[in-house]
Amino acid sequence: MKKIIPSLLALSMVAAFTTQAATPKDTLVIAQSTDDADSFDPAKGFELTTVQAFTNLYQRLVQSNPQNPTELQPTLATSWQPGSDNRSLTFELRKDAKFSSGNPLRPEDVIFSLGRVVKLNLDPSFILTQLGWNKDNVDSFLTKVDDNHVKISWSANVSPAYVLSLLSAPVSSIVDEKTALAHEKNGDFGNGWLATNSAGSGPYQIRKVVLHEVVLLTANPTSPAGAPKLKNILIKNVPEPAARRLLLEQGDVDIARNLGADQIAALKGKAGVKTEAIPMASLYYIQFNVGSDPVLKNPALWEAARYLFDYKGIANDLLKGQFEVHQTFLPKGFLGALNDTPYSYDPEKAKAILKKAGLTNVSFTLSTSNQPPYLDIAQALQGSFAKGGVKVEVQPGLSSEVSTKVKAHQYQATLNAWGADYFDPNTNAASFAYNPEDGSKTIAYRSDWHIPELSKQTLAATAESDNNKRVELYQAMQREVLKNSPYVIGLQARNLIALRDNLKGYVQGINPDMVYYSQVTK
Amino acid sequence: MAASAPQAGSARPLWQRTSRLLTSLLSLLVTLIGLLAFTFMLSHLSPVDPVQQIAGDHASEATYAQVRHDLGLDQPVLVQFWRYISHLAQGNLGLSHLTNQPVSADLMRTFPATIELATCSMIFAAVFGVALALLAAWKPGSIIDNVARFISLLGYSVPVFWLGLLGLLLFYAVLHWSAGPGQLDDIWIYTLEPKTGFVLIDSWLSGDPEMFRNAIAHIWLPVVILGLLAMAGITRLLRAALLEESSKEYVILARAKGAGRTRILLRHIFPNVLGTLITVIALSYATLLEGSVLTETVFAWPGVGRYMTNALFSADVPAILGATLLIGSCFILLNAVADALTWLTDPRTR
Repeated sequence: MKKIIPSLLALSMVAAFTTQAATPKDTLVIAQSTDDADSFDPAKGFELTTVQAFTNLYQRLVQSNPQNPTELQPTLATSWQPGSDNRSLTFELRKDAKFSSGNPLRPEDVIFSLGRVVKLNLDPSFILTQLGWNKDNVDSFLTKVDDNHVKISWSANVSPAYVLSLLSAPVSSIVDEKTALAHEKNGDFGNGWLATNSAGSGPYQIRKVVLHEVVLLTANPTSPAGAPKLKNILIKNVPEPAARRLLLEQGDVDIARNLGADQIAALKGKAGVKTEAIPMASLYYIQFNVGSDPVLKNPALWEAARYLFDYKGIANDLLKGQFEVHQTFLPKGFLGALNDTPYSYDPEKAKAILKKAGLTNVSFTLSTSNQPPYLDIAQALQGSFAKGGVKVEVQPGLSSEVSTKVKAHQYQATLNAWGADYFDPNTNAASFAYNPEDGSKTIAYRSDWHIPELSKQTLAATAESDNNKRVELYQAMQREVLKNSPYVIGLQARNLIALRDNLKGYVQGINPDMVYYSQVTK
Repeated sequence: MAASAPQAGSARPLWQRTSRLLTSLLSLLVTLIGLLAFTFMLSHLSPVDPVQQIAGDHASEATYAQVRHDLGLDQPVLVQFWRYISHLAQGNLGLSHLTNQPVSADLMRTFPATIELATCSMIFAAVFGVALALLAAWKPGSIIDNVARFISLLGYSVPVFWLGLLGLLLFYAVLHWSAGPGQLDDIWIYTLEPKTGFVLIDSWLSGDPEMFRNAIAHIWLPVVILGLLAMAGITRLLRAALLEESSKEYVILARAKGAGRTRILLRHIFPNVLGTLITVIALSYATLLEGSVLTETVFAWPGVGRYMTNALFSADVPAILGATLLIGSCFILLNAVADALTWLTDPRTR
């Protein structure tokens, strides 16, 4: 024992050599889980980590104004002109724009960038194929007018305003054709190389990516957006939120993302730290599989369920600050979002509705992910539904497993979350209120909910050029879904983040891609 | 002519030793193929649809069918298994859907971090575990013995995930004795040139003592947390083996001849439990290689445990199979090494 104690002390002494390193002055250090990232090619990357990087690595023809996201502003295009047939837009490109390689922006780069998305046909390509493009015809829809103009046409019945929304999505990022093709392998349009490299004109470029470990971005001083204020952005993979909190608290990182309510509570009031709850375009909802059981098909059950969701209890008491109550399918902050919340927790009213419909001893299985906060919410729902006489059996599983079963209609009810794919109301309308009966696995399809009328309305809204009329159409659809659908939309998530208080200029918007690093100083 | 039986105390003839070696190698090969077949079947029973995982939510029926075909999932299971084995024989573990990289490259990248963590943990566990067990057996029932038993119980019963978070809170956030999660502080990420893949060795080779010290500051806490589990096992089993031996006749005889307690423990008893110790250490090491997932998550350690967990969550079948094969091979190999070492150190097993 006499020998062990000195050994332990010696070990402690070695450890005590550690000095607490502040983050480098010219580098913004971020801790988050990057386990979702698989490729930083905008034609492929469709996860939180990758889309957050795209806005900083690439530019698009048009992009949302960071301060007012519903306003689209010229970015690599200086102006655009709709065609007389309402099926085309001609863009004038910025004359001084250059990629990080030094290559100037050309109409060919625009044609290459949009065309390769469709030809590669990877996960996010559906955003552009909505325009009626496919790998065989896309080239005919993209035309160089002159050295400074490019014409984009489409065959689908959608308005130019809607097309502009799609062109502002990360998948529409403009890639330097010459650089990408210089690294092409087996006709992949540079997809393999771009998984861990960049060829854009954004304020940053990729310096090093080790997937699932670290992403290091470095300034692109020649960006048309202007040189960023910090030289480097270092995003490190810290999968455990409690560890992210400790890193921030110690000053070893400048931003800790995706924290839980517990971590935020622990950080509040700590010196040198500020916390933020940024609204996200992510909705949490219950959906019933109406084909699985006659009871689950009964609109009375859907209505009763709306009174058995303890909205405020979950948002305010259970998961403090991580959610706000939201009941319509367009998240707050989206064009046309309806913020009506007509339903509140009322078990007695639910009982009366069920009794009137002759539904007794109602029970169902609620499948959900075994990860927080799904399981916490599901257990709360089990309690709140029980008070209304409805027995809920919670069935947790791996997210991928639950997702597979839901898409195959092998479930009764599920608690799930839905995030917007791009910043236009159609992204959620085409999920909640659209079932084209062609095998597209929309949320309506997953509920086995057949809605020809709503599907028609969804398509009509994308064809509408008048923004005010579009808003009216989406609001009418939201009212209909709110009142009569097999969904109980209850919560809109907030992204809980914590920052060192010397940090200035960090902007994060409602959509996952709306993360702006270029103006950050510390 | 009948083969003559080996005489007592002499080594077995060469042909018997060769036969034993060949049998062991064959057994290794069969076990590996069995492991592969079992994992392969399990991955096919998974409720997760790997095609959907790759093709995405918005894929058309045609894209879905194409991805399914590309993965070979439209073939009978036996054909798929044969194809996998054939590719494996050429050193091809397939392409990870999660990282888009060859699985072999992913494992080459992540395994060194796990080996580094597990080896250091094993050294810690072996040194302290053996010392503690010897002290406990030296005076059974004493305070030291009780402490050893308490530590064993602690190592076994406290979840490593919780212990890791607690360790970070105490040694990193409060006492500042340890660096935070990760293998190095950010300032070194720019300069470390990976030569061997082992951060401790690479930082040593870099010639920058600060960087090496920083790597030590990062690794010691996860090593201790992970090592506690193995240490508990070593202490418990070694203590029991030492106490069991101490009641045997040769010990009583040595004691009657006037040998001291320390001499009896170290010179008479310890060599006789060496075989047990080697087996325990080898198996603990294999467990550490495979079981460091939670430690790797808490300490943001980019090892194979986390790689495999991510693969499991996203139904990345080639990655799951590759990582299972790697860890399984380590288990089998370490078992064989333990057998060989026991054979070498303990004449009774020959």
